[in-house]
Amino acid sequence: MKLRLVSLLLISLFSMFALVGASAQEQTEGVLVSADWLEANLDNPQVRVIEVSVNPGLFERGHIAGAVNFVWHTDFVDTVQRDIVSSERFQELIQAAGINDDTTVVLYGDSNNWFAAWGAWIFNLYGFEDVRLLDGGRVKWEADGRPLTTDVAVFEPGNAIVAAPNDDLRALKDEVLSIVEGVTPGTLVDIRGPAEYNGEIFAPEGVQELAVRAGHIPGAINVPWGQNVSEDGTFKSVEELRDLYAGLGIDGSTPIVTYCRIGERAALTWFVLNQLLGYDVALYDGSWTEWGNAVGVPVENPAGTVWGGV
Amino acid sequence: MSETTVEGSFQEGAAPPRMSLRQQAARWSGLLILLGALLAAYVLHNAPGFGTNASLSLLLGVVLGIVFQRGRFCFFCIFRDFIQFRNSAGLFAVLTALAVGSVGYALIFGAFLPNTFTGRLPPDAHIGPVSWVLVAAGVAFGIGMSLSGACISGHLYRLGEGYSRAPFALFGSLVGFGLGFFTWQSVYLGTISSAQVVWLPATLGYGGALALQLAVLTGVGVYLLRFLPPLPAREGSSVTLKAIWDRVILQRWNPLITGGLVGIIGTVAYLRIEPLGVTSQLSSMTRTAMDSAGLLADRLNGLDGFTGCAAVIAQTITDNGWLIGGLVVGSFAVVLLANKFQLSRLTLGGGISAALGGVLMGWGAMLALGCTVGTLLSGISAFALSGWVFGIAVFIGVWLGIRFKLNRW
Repeated sequence: MKLRLVSLLLISLFSMFALVGASAQEQTEGVLVSADWLEANLDNPQVRVIEVSVNPGLFERGHIAGAVNFVWHTDFVDTVQRDIVSSERFQELIQAAGINDDTTVVLYGDSNNWFAAWGAWIFNLYGFEDVRLLDGGRVKWEADGRPLTTDVAVFEPGNAIVAAPNDDLRALKDEVLSIVEGVTPGTLVDIRGPAEYNGEIFAPEGVQELAVRAGHIPGAINVPWGQNVSEDGTFKSVEELRDLYAGLGIDGSTPIVTYCRIGERAALTWFVLNQLLGYDVALYDGSWTEWGNAVGVPVENPAGTVWGGV
Repeated sequence: MSETTVEGSFQEGAAPPRMSLRQQAARWSGLLILLGALLAAYVLHNAPGFGTNASLSLLLGVVLGIVFQRGRFCFFCIFRDFIQFRNSAGLFAVLTALAVGSVGYALIFGAFLPNTFTGRLPPDAHIGPVSWVLVAAGVAFGIGMSLSGACISGHLYRLGEGYSRAPFALFGSLVGFGLGFFTWQSVYLGTISSAQVVWLPATLGYGGALALQLAVLTGVGVYLLRFLPPLPAREGSSVTLKAIWDRVILQRWNPLITGGLVGIIGTVAYLRIEPLGVTSQLSSMTRTAMDSAGLLADRLNGLDGFTGCAAVIAQTITDNGWLIGGLVVGSFAVVLLANKFQLSRLTLGGGISAALGGVLMGWGAMLALGCTVGTLLSGISAFALSGWVFGIAVFIGVWLGIRFKLNRW
């Protein structure tokens, strides 16, 4: 009898667990917000939270209360020609997200805020002034045990107007070429892993987007993106970051251009150098998938890997 | 065996017979296995590389195994009962699961993708391309079910009952997935890439799609009533612990309860992790093995662009792996509690036909991006036309299999 009772109890316990599911500072200078600050400001109508995650289905299964989902590969880009989202389309998204001209936009996402930083770059490019990142992003928010919700937030249409794109924040291929050729001064920062930078591999395993040449843009300095952050995913302190880059000869005395493989991750380093350190930085969103495929541009390939094998 | 007590042989009011040692051992093992699964789920929830999704997948799998086994939610058995014996009782479990699942999905979709007319699809719901490939895959899958004696989820839970053909069928399915990859490469550009991905709410909205599906399910249910055998008369009885035990552990569950629970579990799985499916880990094992043996192109054209139980290259146990592991364990444990574990007799012919059926099922499930659970159940619940088409094709396949007596092999 006892055995029966325990077994029945156990089965109901399983059902309950399975249905319910087991689990378990103040505002930083201007462009970064802490999780504490955000949690305290979730009901603040001046604040609009936007999630930009790489993995589909993450936002839908639970997001920070009141957050709006922006999809990096459809909302922030033109899906037909290779370009960033048009200002007309961005205007529609802004309006639907209820963003006004005095709204503080706070972005966060998975994978160390890579694509949230890309979102922050787009917002800056289109003239938004108060754009911030949640320090540590989604990973830290979850690790802190802070709440998520599946509620859908609905907003009155916002009145913010998208400005003409600020070309100073964006580098096109010819501008990069002009730096490489020494015509214009500039420092190139390659944020990919050392194996890609050295040309040992074309791209990390499993990725779809490739270039048919290996290596890096001549003169670029390799600073993998991970050096910007601490173990918990938050940014290192401004002093640490300034020292890190100064030690590599990047001190803001010349304009900087950051790039990666497909153009999005480099936004994290753009954010660090431009938004946190205040340097003059542009993002080369064509990145290696454009440069390594472009005809006639110079390439440095220390490893000498040949496309298709020797 | 002659001295073991035969169940039901004692008189009402007489002292209940003592359990034999073997019965006691079986029950204790069932209990310990359930406890072990709970413990494993607890350990998983903060194990490096796994986490709460793996933990919850394991728990959902255990519950699903219990429900499948107690409710006999075996698509082949259910279809055969109807085709061969004109008994529609089991089909009501399927209809109920689809109805409850549709309502659940509609509720979740409303939050995941409030506007259905933007051209987007809800994240990772099993909504697949509809073409003749899907029909061929479904028919092959149905024939494979007849040949092997169960569908893939059926074999998984019947593994826990001691069904000796199950390992052969599951092994055959691994081979079938591999063949499916080659077929996929040759039909993708010609057919699948241009096939329509039809999602009913994109034209009807959630209300319209739900109304349509519930109307169709109701219509089928009304038609099937005439094939429903009369229910046995049941006397009023007092609710005792023993009566509950008998109802839950020993007697077959009512199809409506089984179906309702399957629908709820499917909804919870989609809300928290991913749509229910049982083939993604299996086909991923095949893809990973073929990939490391250099047998397969690095990239399967277009496969990564569809949602479903698609194969990925993975060196680890995915959430889906924990789910199907839990399914086998849950079924095994509840079978032990009922002391009903029995290794079925296996003939050479039986093993071969099970493996052949498995090959057909693997091939079909790869091309359909899922099986009776992933494409039929999770697909129809998600208002995908592909779910309906696959379901009908599977039914035709089973009908053909029984018509040509493949299930006797």
